Amino acid sequence: MVGLYCDFHAQQEQSTTNMLGAMLKQLASRGGISEHTREAFREAKKEFGGRGLRLPDMVDVLKKAITSLPRLFICIDALDECAQKHRRELMESLRQIVRVSPGARVFLTGRPHIDDEIVECFNSPLRIPLTPTHGDIKSYLEMRLSGDSTPSAMDDGLREDIMTIIPKKISEM
Amino acid sequence: MSPGHQQVTGNINSFNTVNFIAELDDEGHQILQWLSPLEPQKRHQGVRTDRLDGVGNWVLETTEFRKWRDGEDGCVEPVLFCYGNPGVGKTYVRYEVNWSKITPMLLTISK
Repeated sequence: MVGLYCDFHAQQEQSTTNMLGAMLKQLASRGGISEHTREAFREAKKEFGGRGLRLPDMVDVLKKAITSLPRLFICIDALDECAQKHRRELMESLRQIVRVSPGARVFLTGRPHIDDEIVECFNSPLRIPLTPTHGDIKSYLEMRLSGDSTPSAMDDGLREDIMTIIPKKISEM
Repeated sequence: MSPGHQQVTGNINSFNTVNFIAELDDEGHQILQWLSPLEPQKRHQGVRTDRLDGVGNWVLETTEFRKWRDGEDGCVEPVLFCYGNPGVGKTYVRYEVNWSKITPMLLTISK
């Protein structure tokens, strides 16, 4: 399992190579650093004074690190928060990676507006629309009410209203 | 503590790299630095702390999710996209019922 969280505020830092590199880093810190990765590092150090890998090389190293794994979940959260250029590159890289690694599964989350991009890149991805369920909202509200900082302002009627009206409003949205 | 919570916590540890990094040689440390400055496992800890147990669990029961998780390699579409508006619930609930919280749940199936 490797995972990334995209963030609007880190778009600069979250370049495609940095994001793919972070996945490799997670793999390496658990399964050890592959000889192939070490070689790429030594090569880069010798020839380019330690410059980071270029995108195609990063994809290549990652492919080699993943193909041997029977199962790998790659989870990327809030893909829409990634800069568009990086997002396209990232999806394309993932497409190349899963093509050679049948055991890999990619889990993406994001806002609906990037759906077209995802469908275009990955042939026919499985898709699940997310909306909070009634149960989700209720558990959340209960959690918030139990942490109320001014409990003296709360009474049964207000509590009842909160627990009925909020879930109803949300389901109407 | 619910069994589900323990399961998630145990799996979170497998996502957290800190313990493992200590065992790397000098070159290993340099390589990790060189690969990327990003440290997603730190953010992961935050998400884990904020997560409300059970919220979003229904996703794991959907046909799409099961197909994606259990389908035979090479036969099933390997990409699953979960999408939702950030505004859903935000105005009323303030704290969004966030899709981020699904990611840690996946840890329970990735052992």
